[in-house]
Amino acid sequence: MSSACLCIGEAVKVILMDTSHNPSSRRFTSRLVISISVIFFANSLASALGQEKEVQNPLTGDPAAIKEGASLFRANCSPCHGLNASGGGRGPDLRTGDWVHGGSDAAIFRTINDGVPGTEMPANPFEDSEIWALVAFLRSVSSGAKTPVSGDAARGERLYWGKSNCAQCHMVKGRGGRLGPDLTRVGAARSVAYLIESIREPSKDLSLGMTDPNNHYVYPLEYETVTAVLADGQRIVGVAKNEDAYSLQLLGQDQELHLFLKKDLREVLHERRSLMPAYTEAVLSDADLRDLLAYLTGFRGEQK
Amino acid sequence: MNHSTVRMVLPLLGLVFCVMPGRSQVSYDRILKASEEPQNWLTYSGSYKSWRYSTLDQINVSNARNLGVQWAFQSASLGQFETTPLVIDGVLYGTGQDNRAFALDARTGRPIWRYQRRLPDKVQACCGMVNRGFAALGETLFMATLDAHVVALDMKTGNLVWDVAAADYRESYAFTVAPLVVKDKIIVGVAGGEYGVRGFIDAYYADSGKRAWRFYTVPGPGEPGHETWEGDSWKTGGAPAWITGSYDPELNLIFWPTGNPSPSNNGAQRKGDNLYSSSMLALDADTGKLKWHYQFTPHDLHDYDATQIPVLLDAPWQGQMRKLLLHANRNGFLYVLDGTNGELLSAKPFFPRLTWAKEIGSDGRPVVLPGSEPTAEGTRTCPGALGATNWFSPSYSPQTELLYVAVAEECDVFTNAPQKYHEGHDFLGSVYVAVPREKPWGALRAFDPFTGEQKWEFRYFSPPNGGCLATAGGLVFAGDSDGNFAAFDARTGENLWHLQLGAAVYSSPITYSLDGKQYIAIPAGGTLFVFALPGGAAK
Repeated sequence: MSSACLCIGEAVKVILMDTSHNPSSRRFTSRLVISISVIFFANSLASALGQEKEVQNPLTGDPAAIKEGASLFRANCSPCHGLNASGGGRGPDLRTGDWVHGGSDAAIFRTINDGVPGTEMPANPFEDSEIWALVAFLRSVSSGAKTPVSGDAARGERLYWGKSNCAQCHMVKGRGGRLGPDLTRVGAARSVAYLIESIREPSKDLSLGMTDPNNHYVYPLEYETVTAVLADGQRIVGVAKNEDAYSLQLLGQDQELHLFLKKDLREVLHERRSLMPAYTEAVLSDADLRDLLAYLTGFRGEQK
Repeated sequence: MNHSTVRMVLPLLGLVFCVMPGRSQVSYDRILKASEEPQNWLTYSGSYKSWRYSTLDQINVSNARNLGVQWAFQSASLGQFETTPLVIDGVLYGTGQDNRAFALDARTGRPIWRYQRRLPDKVQACCGMVNRGFAALGETLFMATLDAHVVALDMKTGNLVWDVAAADYRESYAFTVAPLVVKDKIIVGVAGGEYGVRGFIDAYYADSGKRAWRFYTVPGPGEPGHETWEGDSWKTGGAPAWITGSYDPELNLIFWPTGNPSPSNNGAQRKGDNLYSSSMLALDADTGKLKWHYQFTPHDLHDYDATQIPVLLDAPWQGQMRKLLLHANRNGFLYVLDGTNGELLSAKPFFPRLTWAKEIGSDGRPVVLPGSEPTAEGTRTCPGALGATNWFSPSYSPQTELLYVAVAEECDVFTNAPQKYHEGHDFLGSVYVAVPREKPWGALRAFDPFTGEQKWEFRYFSPPNGGCLATAGGLVFAGDSDGNFAAFDARTGENLWHLQLGAAVYSSPITYSLDGKQYIAIPAGGTLFVFALPGGAAK
């Protein structure tokens, strides 16, 4: 099948460490509640006075704090956000300067401390000074402002829905195909560099599939290529939505579900590659890529 | 009836009730001979030898395909339901998540009582708010709680008999372990290796809750082994003891394994062998005094807890009768030790892709491979941090003379970073992450413990978190992380039956019988499932 689809993968596939998935509310200390209340109070006071001033990170640019923040990040945040804050299986790239939940020091503090309701970002039981060290570290690796993409988004839109065939496999806000990952929020969740890698070399890093809320230790499935070989030799190629020792739930390239018992199959083949073809320069020029990126980076879901 | 008649009759009635409904007193003698009453399941591992084996054979290789659900019990929490229920004279006693416990009519699954000890807000248990089960003695059940208490409950009502604090949960001490009863004492080991606790194993008198002894798994100043910790690192050295040990009544020794040193990934903060982390301890059951120790992974850097069940076997070893201790370790080696003195008799890999050690040398120490230690950038090392196997139980069948072990085939990338200790916080020295482009899987494997040879394997799609049960019906039962519970031919590994339970299995099965009918019990998700053959007792 000559499907032209775009798979957004993750830079680092991570299984949460034992400690990282504790219901963090249990570890939320009352001292932090107090300190964050002070910040909220300061914020509301500032806005009441019509001032824009917010709490500033006292450790910005402090080399020792950045180093401490890097260690804290590796130990606590990298399971979701990747070893270098470059994004992981569950958390976005934090280097883009594009802070979906607020980019002020106080907002980043709040995001780390409180978590983000409705997402997988938990509250975290750090000391205030540790959070400021983390903020200092994040500032040191972040570009400080949203990376401008120089392309023409309108032209990118035409490529996406037309010649480049992206929509054949990727859904955006309910429109498009279903074989590849949904891209509704991909502009907010991934770096431009990562989007480029995913377009040029889609097999380099495979996207993760469903996670099991009852089992933090199991590896999610990935968007690898799975082939079911039937008893009569017929082959059905697709992406496994799920699999175990006895059965296979395959989303075929026909974008239909194929549900198999393994005992009825001759073989199940797993290939560590994406079904998405590589969009090399021969297929997608650098200029086209820039236009496409300008369009994709606007995919921000319902988040501001 | 006058009062004197009442006085005469009542004791007689009492006598009748005490004797009639099946010996509801669990004496120490009954626990010693637990394998002689296979209708019950009296201790965590089924017997002091920890074979997790039953002589029940009504369910066997010829009929296992007919197994069906008899009843199910829904506990209150989803996720990791790790209990091993006890079954005592028709009643099943289990523990759940979040300090919950229950007693059920083992024939119908109907609850008799429920118990929950309120969980404080700040409890930390690294890997889920789990509990692995009760111990029983007399008419009392013993549970070690997430907030580091040991409680005694009345078997008939769930009423609290006594409650002692073993440690301060605000310092991240927690219990997840099923206690072990030895004589008049309740033995427990603490968890908290992810938070820099100082590990210990405690014994409490069953009647009063008074502590009889404590063995610190990290020796303090002046104690032997203290020199294996640099500076003050011993104070936060970890070495938890969160899985139930075994007991040899002839030697009067408790065999209890220990977990990782803290911080697990960053060895530079705790130079030395770090005794007694990642070790097997042999403790005098009466005094808690250390008889011997064997450290499987000196100066562990990969979270290779030794918290796997020690299986005891009196058998000839190279022509000489020995007290063998079999231990499939998280570090990928299957060890055979002499239980009398801790002598290493054999160590064979049961995980073929080992990258951290070449072998276990004749001096008993691993021959560590260079380049396997964690780094700032990360080092791929096998097995991964969750180990080649883990806390879930192995089984030994005297019918097949094979040891059954659930194995995780996975590696991890280990990073390290210096980390300051903060009371009540994670203390890991950085993290491990999955290896890009490597899909982990799992297997149930059967080994000849005398040679280390693998006899068969059944492949799981995902790495397992459930252990196994072997029976005289020629069967091995085990659950996988994809939610399947299955029966296998113990000799060949042929998969005879399975059922999808809808959630990953995080426990090891047990069996019991009532009215001549054999049952198999396994928790999954938030539900305890109990299976039997259809119809009545088909003898």
